[in-house]
Amino acid sequence: MKGFFTLTILLTALTSIYAASAWHLPRQLTGAQLDPLPALMLVVALRAPISAVTALAIGGSLLQSALSSGPVGTSLVPLYALGLVVHLNAHSLSQYHIGPRFALGAIAGGVVPALTLSLLVLSGHEPLVGWFTLWQWSVGILGSGIFAVLFFPLLEWLDQSVEEQPLAAPYDTTTRIVRGTRFHG
Amino acid sequence: MNNRPYIIATGLVLLLAIVFFNLSPDSSARLKRVLASFHIPLFSAQKTVEATGEILVNQAAPRKVLLQEIHELKRQNQILELRLGQTQSLERENHSLREQLELRPKPEWNPRLTRIVGRDPANWWRSVLIDLGTKAGVRVDMPVMSSQGLVGRVQEVHDHRSRVALLGDPACRISVTIEATGESGIISASGGTVFDPTLVKLLYLPANSEARAGDQLYTSGLGEIFPRGIPVGKLTAVTAAPGALTTQASVKLAVNSSKLNEVWVLMP
Repeated sequence: MKGFFTLTILLTALTSIYAASAWHLPRQLTGAQLDPLPALMLVVALRAPISAVTALAIGGSLLQSALSSGPVGTSLVPLYALGLVVHLNAHSLSQYHIGPRFALGAIAGGVVPALTLSLLVLSGHEPLVGWFTLWQWSVGILGSGIFAVLFFPLLEWLDQSVEEQPLAAPYDTTTRIVRGTRFHG
Repeated sequence: MNNRPYIIATGLVLLLAIVFFNLSPDSSARLKRVLASFHIPLFSAQKTVEATGEILVNQAAPRKVLLQEIHELKRQNQILELRLGQTQSLERENHSLREQLELRPKPEWNPRLTRIVGRDPANWWRSVLIDLGTKAGVRVDMPVMSSQGLVGRVQEVHDHRSRVALLGDPACRISVTIEATGESGIISASGGTVFDPTLVKLLYLPANSEARAGDQLYTSGLGEIFPRGIPVGKLTAVTAAPGALTTQASVKLAVNSSKLNEVWVLMP
């Protein structure tokens, strides 16, 4: 069943990446593009095994690249690094209230773009960077915090929906069969 | 703790990262085409929803408003037909003069209207997705424009969709001419601000450039990718550094691409 949960995570990633690209309003209002992947990776790293974290890092970065003019898989390493660190420290991170969820999402939204941008510059690409990048980064941090608050209950619901449920017994389990020498007519 | 799954996962990610960063442009484009196919159902769903919404809105429009619109469109059509007649006469005259001067005939372009269906999910590139692809005859490097001027060039082509690199993106550097002085320069990336992505830089103007703020810019036609004479924008400031070999200028683009929903692809 965990394989099915991983598939639902990838479908969530696909839908959220597409929605972020097709829905222009946030970009028109803020001048910045919102990225749902860091928040999704945070929630997955806290709830799912390392295989799901790896699948999301690979699948998410590739699906995002398909809609971007940047190089393929740019955010692969930053996403995986975030997922690995969060997954290894999951027991010491508070995740049951809105405040910590927002804060963790915001941190994730700050770390991933910074690492991705560093990788792009170090690998010789020419991304559009200027003073406006700081504003876009700030909006991304805020947006990622909000995404995290939304993704926590969504993934909890998905996890419960695809989790293996015990089958109902086709007979009355309260009946006791007593075997003995005497016949009870 | 069993470390084996973590080592395998980390190794796999690092290996893939090395492979992706060393892909050739061709392999990268092919891989993107394959990956883009995962988004096709969502593109189709969006198209269906938009079409349904349009039908509902059209049905809800009152008859009086529609009649007014038809009347207005008929009036505009008459004016445009008159202008078309004048343009055709000028075109014939131009053709005849070019023949007399033994100049090569100008290539004709067929504009095709298309919708913008997506924008780049990353902040550091300026590109959009349009819903025309190779099936509709779109090819790499075709010019894309709106009624106000040049928007960009086709960067990648898929079967039913294409990516357009917008002016101001590192992948869309074009040669332009200043109308007033005849000087040429290259529109480069950057120079924009968050709320005004229409600001870009014009590089490689002559050191003794006579260009001034307010001068209009048009495509130069050099390189034969873009036809000559498409409006690009106007100069907002010219910066001539003492002793420098070239002059830089700031340009406000004619088209604010962040507000566009439809564009024209120019097909030869």
